[in-house]
Amino acid sequence: MALSLEGHTARAFDGDLSALHIQAVAMGALVIEQVQVAVNAYSSWDRTAATLVLERERRVNLYDAEIEEAALQLIARRQPMAQDLRAVFAIDKVVTELERAADEAKKLALAVLAESEIHGFRPGAATAREARQLGRLAVVMTRTALEAFDHLDPTAAAAVVEQDQEMDAEYAAALRRILTRAMEDARQVQAAIEAAFIMRSLERIGDHARNIARHVGFIGGDFDPTATGVIPPPISVKS
Amino acid sequence: METAVELERAGINLKPSGRMPDGEVALAPIESGKTVGNIEVEDPIFRCRDVDVYYGAKHAIKKVGIDVAKSQVLAMIGPSGCGKSTFLRCLNRMNDTIEGARVEGSILLDGRDIHDKKQDVVQLRARVGMVFQKPNPFPKSIYENVAYGPRIHGLAADRVELDEIVHNSLQRAGLWEEVKDRLQNPGTSLSGGQQQRLCIARTIAVNPEVILMDEPCSALDPIATARIEDLMEELRQSYAIVIVTHSMQQAARVSQRTAYFHLGDLIEVGETDRIFTNPRHKLTEDYITGRFG
Repeated sequence: MALSLEGHTARAFDGDLSALHIQAVAMGALVIEQVQVAVNAYSSWDRTAATLVLERERRVNLYDAEIEEAALQLIARRQPMAQDLRAVFAIDKVVTELERAADEAKKLALAVLAESEIHGFRPGAATAREARQLGRLAVVMTRTALEAFDHLDPTAAAAVVEQDQEMDAEYAAALRRILTRAMEDARQVQAAIEAAFIMRSLERIGDHARNIARHVGFIGGDFDPTATGVIPPPISVKS
Repeated sequence: METAVELERAGINLKPSGRMPDGEVALAPIESGKTVGNIEVEDPIFRCRDVDVYYGAKHAIKKVGIDVAKSQVLAMIGPSGCGKSTFLRCLNRMNDTIEGARVEGSILLDGRDIHDKKQDVVQLRARVGMVFQKPNPFPKSIYENVAYGPRIHGLAADRVELDEIVHNSLQRAGLWEEVKDRLQNPGTSLSGGQQQRLCIARTIAVNPEVILMDEPCSALDPIATARIEDLMEELRQSYAIVIVTHSMQQAARVSQRTAYFHLGDLIEVGETDRIFTNPRHKLTEDYITGRFG
């Protein structure tokens, strides 16, 4: 059952809480777009797109600061209780996850714009394909989590946990392929290391989406202590 | 922030109003006596079961069952007219004084029925003291306000002992330092917060086991309220406290257990930690989040 942030006797409370929620959803929408553009920038080696990601990163941070301020104000003025309290708490945590997901997207953009001997290796066709594949999964997961958060629907949020398992498997497979290519051609080692970091960033975005989904469960009253786990399960890269 | 633009670009449809899902789950009719949560505690001071209170034809309390634990503050919350004060007054038979009031069910204080014919009501009210919404010191000196109870209950052998009881009670109520030089001044000369602490001193002077508090801070300013709340935390080490309050923040601050009343029914009882973060009954949730009515 979806939850409700409205119905307060004091209607202004409805407005404050909904405004906070909508701001967080809007920030999520911006972050999804950041991830999409960053993945394209990396896989197509598009400096213009990468620059756009860096420019918009400032807006992500602005959202983060504004929502945090609004959440503090709401707690101070309204003293929310029960589901409302959980909602404000979870919204603040969701915003932190979104901000971190955007940071990962920024790392992709920085790789494209870097001009040094240890960074800025343009991915080959195979690596670009893997980045697109993991990037697509990261976007799908973030979108599913954000929609569940928008509708405050813990049941829909549960789907993200399954998607995360697929992400973990894809990530392990991508790493394996990158390592295999590096072993075949020693000149590729440095590029492979950077590619592995990029894959790791995309996998982390998936983790942030999973955490957002768990925060939606928390609003619904799910106090599972393991639900706060930010540490992903260990990944085997054995071939 | 270009919120709307951001949302549209990501293809997220916002329903600007009525974001709530339609068709809220209809509530099942309340079945009296079916309280959500554990009404029992280990080694209770009060054990109440199937308590009904009638004011004439009006059924004010319906099959309420709850234990009161020792060394704990139990907060009773609920909208006006829900029966929380009525239930509180059952615990020291204050309803006896109301014409047409009838109490049924069992209320055991330390295992003994307080409605037992052998129960001395004056004795009961010494064991179960009460602090009211409005401070009500006797029109006597500060000293006499506190000394009155111990004197009529014969708790002091002589003046020295009585002085000691008065001193200790005022000390425990956190009032001694403020009044020690003017014990002969009238009780009514004190400020509202001091008067309320004087009433608490008067209550604890007769060594009660339970202190009932009916909105004890509603006539006080925030500083006086904070002092009373602090005092409750100290007093609960020695007494069980049952407080009726309209302030949910106060209930959350001072109590370890919370009971939610609604139209004469005890809807939910639970650890305060849980009630205010994750209540189980929708009526409790609606009330404490301000969605009532």
